[in-house]
Amino acid sequence: MYKIAGVLFILAGCIGWGSGKIGQEKERIRHLKTLTYILGQMRGEISYGMSTLPEICLLLAELNDGCYEKCFRRIYERTQLERTAPFPEVWAAEIKSCLEGLPLKDDERRTMEELPKSLNFREEKGQAGRVGQAEAFLEDRYRQAEEACENRSKMIRSVSILTGLLLAIWLL
Amino acid sequence: MCEEEILCLFPEKCRERWREVAGLKERLQEIRLRAGRPFMILADNREYFVDPRGRIVDRQVQAGSPTSEELEEILKHLCGYSLYAFADEIRQGFLTVQGGHRVGLAGQVILDDGGRIKNMKYIRYLNIRISHQIRGAADPLMPFLFENGHVLSTLLISPPGVGKTTLLRDLIRQVSEGTAYGPGVNVSVVDERSEIAGSYLGVARNDLGIRTDVLDGCPKAEGMMRLIRSMAPQVLAVDELGSIEDAQALQTANGCGCRLLATIHGGSLEEVKNKDYMRYIIKEGLFERYVVLGRVRGRCRMEDIYDGDGKPCIK
Repeated sequence: MYKIAGVLFILAGCIGWGSGKIGQEKERIRHLKTLTYILGQMRGEISYGMSTLPEICLLLAELNDGCYEKCFRRIYERTQLERTAPFPEVWAAEIKSCLEGLPLKDDERRTMEELPKSLNFREEKGQAGRVGQAEAFLEDRYRQAEEACENRSKMIRSVSILTGLLLAIWLL
Repeated sequence: MCEEEILCLFPEKCRERWREVAGLKERLQEIRLRAGRPFMILADNREYFVDPRGRIVDRQVQAGSPTSEELEEILKHLCGYSLYAFADEIRQGFLTVQGGHRVGLAGQVILDDGGRIKNMKYIRYLNIRISHQIRGAADPLMPFLFENGHVLSTLLISPPGVGKTTLLRDLIRQVSEGTAYGPGVNVSVVDERSEIAGSYLGVARNDLGIRTDVLDGCPKAEGMMRLIRSMAPQVLAVDELGSIEDAQALQTANGCGCRLLATIHGGSLEEVKNKDYMRYIIKEGLFERYVVLGRVRGRCRMEDIYDGDGKPCIK
């Protein structure tokens, strides 16, 4: 009886670990999609709205939720209301702390954090073009991750079940 | 206006230097920054220098000066690190920042193939003109601008920096809210350079009265037509007439039954009459009052008021 219960627990644990991994991957895809959407909004506001970057951050805070809402609202407040630090510094710091716990790769994080390095174009096409480059990079990552996700999910699920079985057999 | 509002025009790292200057508040008129040249300010119509520690001094030798990099940083800060959003204004040689303060720019101009100004680079000269809202500034003028409870079309005339826009701002507020001389009426304002209302995110920072609509950032001629069609104003207000298109739009507005409040650069009515685009308008008697402004001991003063025929109402 104890052995059966032990086997079931081991199997459940391994399947759970597998589901966690799949969930993490899906979470990454969700964040990549959100970030692509955010950069698309930024590009649109630069090209058509001619809004300043702090104003765009206020808009992004209103259009997004969760950690992004807080992050963009804080950028807006620090750069436009408190005006305590230059925009590139505030952006880099706030985006860094926002993306810190998220399941993103280093270069994806860096793309967002380093966006202010491509600021200060004096006409909207150049500025929107630079934001568009970052958007294209993240969109590419999003597509790749989404395509790979289905197969990866199947593989992780199978591996986790097999690992559970092996572990159970070995322990028995 | 508070000290912080002036300090916020500068990046954090150089705010300490401008604290004493910002303390001048309403007395402060201009801050002039030129690369490698002394910091200069204009307060109470008098020129002062600012030393490297931020103290206001009289002697040029004591003054500090900004570097080109510092000016670039100030410009970026003023534009919210979004120079693209101010490209049109930079092209015209000025930008209006939060609070309605106007920053004049000079540097090297870039021309397009047609010889028109495409952009500006190496901006090394900044003239920050501090915007003021003085409630009651138009009080002495009010008795002359109403007839049988109706506001009269008025043109304010003065050289730059005397206080036309400040006066117009208060005039709009009083006409909109109503005074002892007439009830409040709907006023529409074409604020091409965001100086009158000092709008930010579409909301006027300066008080222009309860019946005032503001069309922000729109060219005057187009804006006047748009407001007449859409907002049904009884009074239309514009700042700094300067082209034949503006004059034509004024004529149309007048033909629609709108009363006009406008300003123009000039030292006297004669000077304004000699401007090509104003000659016809003045001849037709489009304006019923001309107010010539001057500056006496640093304060804006009404020098002359004329009626529509150019006869003095008061001297």
